[in-house]
Amino acid sequence: MKVLEIKNLHKIYNTTQIRVHAVNGIDLDFEEGEFAAIVGPSGSGKTTLLNLIGGLDKPTEGEILVNGVNLSTLKSSEIIDFRLRNIGFVFQSYNLIPVLTAGENVEFIMGLQKWDRKKRDERTRELLKAVGLEERIHSRPSKLSGGQQQRVAVARALASKPQFVLADEPTANLDSKSTETLLEIMESLNREERITFIFSTHDARVVKKARRVITLEDGKILSDETRN
Amino acid sequence: MIWKTAWKNVWRNKVRSLVVIISVTIGIFGGVFAVAVMNGAIQQRVDAALNEEISHIHINNPSFRDNYDIRLFLPDADSIEALCRQIPGIEAVTQRVILTGMANSARKSTGVQIVGIDPDREKQVFGLHRRTMEGTGDFFETESRYNLAFIGHALAKDLNIVRYLIDQSTIDRLKDRGLPEETAEKLIPFIGFRFSGEKDFNNEMKQCLSLNEQTSYGRLIKEEAWTFRERSRMTLTFLDANQMQTGAVFRIAGIYDVKNNAFESGQVFVRNEDLRRLTGLTGHQVHQMVIRIADLDRTDEISGLLSQKLPGLEVMNWKEIQPDLAMMTGLVQQFYLVFMIIILAALAFGIVNTMLMVVLERTRELGMLAAIGMNKKRVFSMIMLESVFLSLVGGVVGMIFSRILILMTARNGINFSNYEEGFEAMGYSSHIYPVISTGFFIMVTILIILTGILSAVYPALKALKLDPAEALRTE
Ligand SMILES: Nc1ncnc2c1ncn2[C@@H]1O[C@H](COP(=O)(O)OP(=O)(O)OP(=O)(O)O)[C@@H](O)[C@H]1O
Ligand SMILES: [Mg+2]
Repeated sequence: MKVLEIKNLHKIYNTTQIRVHAVNGIDLDFEEGEFAAIVGPSGSGKTTLLNLIGGLDKPTEGEILVNGVNLSTLKSSEIIDFRLRNIGFVFQSYNLIPVLTAGENVEFIMGLQKWDRKKRDERTRELLKAVGLEERIHSRPSKLSGGQQQRVAVARALASKPQFVLADEPTANLDSKSTETLLEIMESLNREERITFIFSTHDARVVKKARRVITLEDGKILSDETRN
Repeated sequence: MIWKTAWKNVWRNKVRSLVVIISVTIGIFGGVFAVAVMNGAIQQRVDAALNEEISHIHINNPSFRDNYDIRLFLPDADSIEALCRQIPGIEAVTQRVILTGMANSARKSTGVQIVGIDPDREKQVFGLHRRTMEGTGDFFETESRYNLAFIGHALAKDLNIVRYLIDQSTIDRLKDRGLPEETAEKLIPFIGFRFSGEKDFNNEMKQCLSLNEQTSYGRLIKEEAWTFRERSRMTLTFLDANQMQTGAVFRIAGIYDVKNNAFESGQVFVRNEDLRRLTGLTGHQVHQMVIRIADLDRTDEISGLLSQKLPGLEVMNWKEIQPDLAMMTGLVQQFYLVFMIIILAALAFGIVNTMLMVVLERTRELGMLAAIGMNKKRVFSMIMLESVFLSLVGGVVGMIFSRILILMTARNGINFSNYEEGFEAMGYSSHIYPVISTGFFIMVTILIILTGILSAVYPALKALKLDPAEALRTE
């Protein structure tokens, strides 16, 4: 089943000095349960592509269909709610609300969706357990390591049972040990719960773990390999 | 979730938030307490006016108030009174004879209104008898074969019936009450000297005492030097029933002090029986019926009913007799509101500034929140709540402090004795008991919340304008 279809996608940034064709005609499909890495040199358009998929940015041309829903048909207010229900996000850093505990951060999205308290508590524990941070449920982000913070962010991204999780360089700020742990967790969630992950990275060790690797250059797909 | 997050966000930058909260606390505390003091003074003025000076409803001949002509009686006073007594809500009625005339002492004379009363019935309508100054006599309690007059403190000063005198015993009493030796010494040259007027006394004290001594002991010295000549007399002159000039000597029955110089120097109370004998008026000839009602809220209703039942007579309620009182009780509430709004408007700038910094600092975080699915309405309300919490915490603490101070000062009042003369010249007591209604606190709370909301509008709109993709790129 296709969770994501991208057709002839273009994004042109028009600044006063220059015109940047950050995404230049991309066609891509993602099936449910994929574990895909987007790689490419700095400035190749990885972040731009992920932002477009997540509806954070509007394409200049082309279409994005999430589970058959064309994002360009949604109003900007609808896109936010759509994101809330269908797309999980993990960023490179500053993922968490610093004044809330790990548990509250995970719960936040369910709170916005008005889940009842019991269900929220249950799922929060379940998710924190899945990322191995059950013990740290009451810790504030500042008391967690960078890797632990990213794991909480992954747990939160999964809170609303999204179609897929978009992660823009989730390991960029992590040491190799934390990188490995985070990837193991993502992999096992992917394998056991069939959660689709699409992440960008620079890191060769991370690329090795991906089952599909999409290489970008100058906003175009250079290669798209699937391996087993 | 949003409430909790907003509340926790308030304490993210503790120092900055505390600065805002403390400024709101101080502003609200000062504002509410100042209003309570103003309101207390006004309330006391209104109470005094209604209880001691005018009561609630007057009935008189329609032209009487134009020239106070002795011949403009109420026709058939007794049946008017009987009619009044049938109306429920009317507590007490008293009849008055009112003349204009002159009060004269050996050296001075001054125009006054001479009010002839029946003391026992008067007490049911007015509380003036309770304002008799200690040691000056009483409100016609003591029987006397002389004509008696009950006069105000201000008039007694004008007529030199009270005066200031320093002798050895005054100085001894002052020392007992804590006057320092060196200050007492400065008073010795004045022994045996009589000051006929308050002004003279004040001037002399100003010259011989230092400013410090005046503020600390001026009032004490004045209190002890004050003497009342017992069995003082004065002459009252007026026109009798036949429009002939007449007059008589009156002994002072007592002196009242209502902290209102205009009233004190203008109203002389005498017994109706004395006045009748001197003017030739009969028992049925009175000029005014004064009515006390049980519930002030029914003023208009009862006075309306009376004027309906008494066509051809002038029925005036306290709001018509003294429109400034009605204004005070109504308009002044709006003034308090404006006063608080001005304070809050000033505080709002501090809150706006803080909230702008908040939005600027959290650009990335706001981008992240939008990315994970927090919609604009929620971002807006989160920022708004944060701002409301800031103002409300400060406001509530300020209100609690002001409430405590009001309770503390309401028991014994605050004495602005240094400004006593100024206060009394305007009809206000310098001893103020701060008071404010619960309704005012509710109103202030609403204003504080509104301030929080309004202060957040501009910063919150700025937050909404953030483009999440853009915000996430900022470092
Ligand atoms: N808001 C913007 N305005 C103008 N140009 C932009 C904007 N955002 C991105 N770009 C440009 O678009 C191109 C692609 O940027 P993008 O951030 O997607 O690259 P990236 O592959 O994520 O790079 P990195 O690996 O450094 O994160 C770059 O040339 C960048 O300068
Ligand atoms: Mg990038």
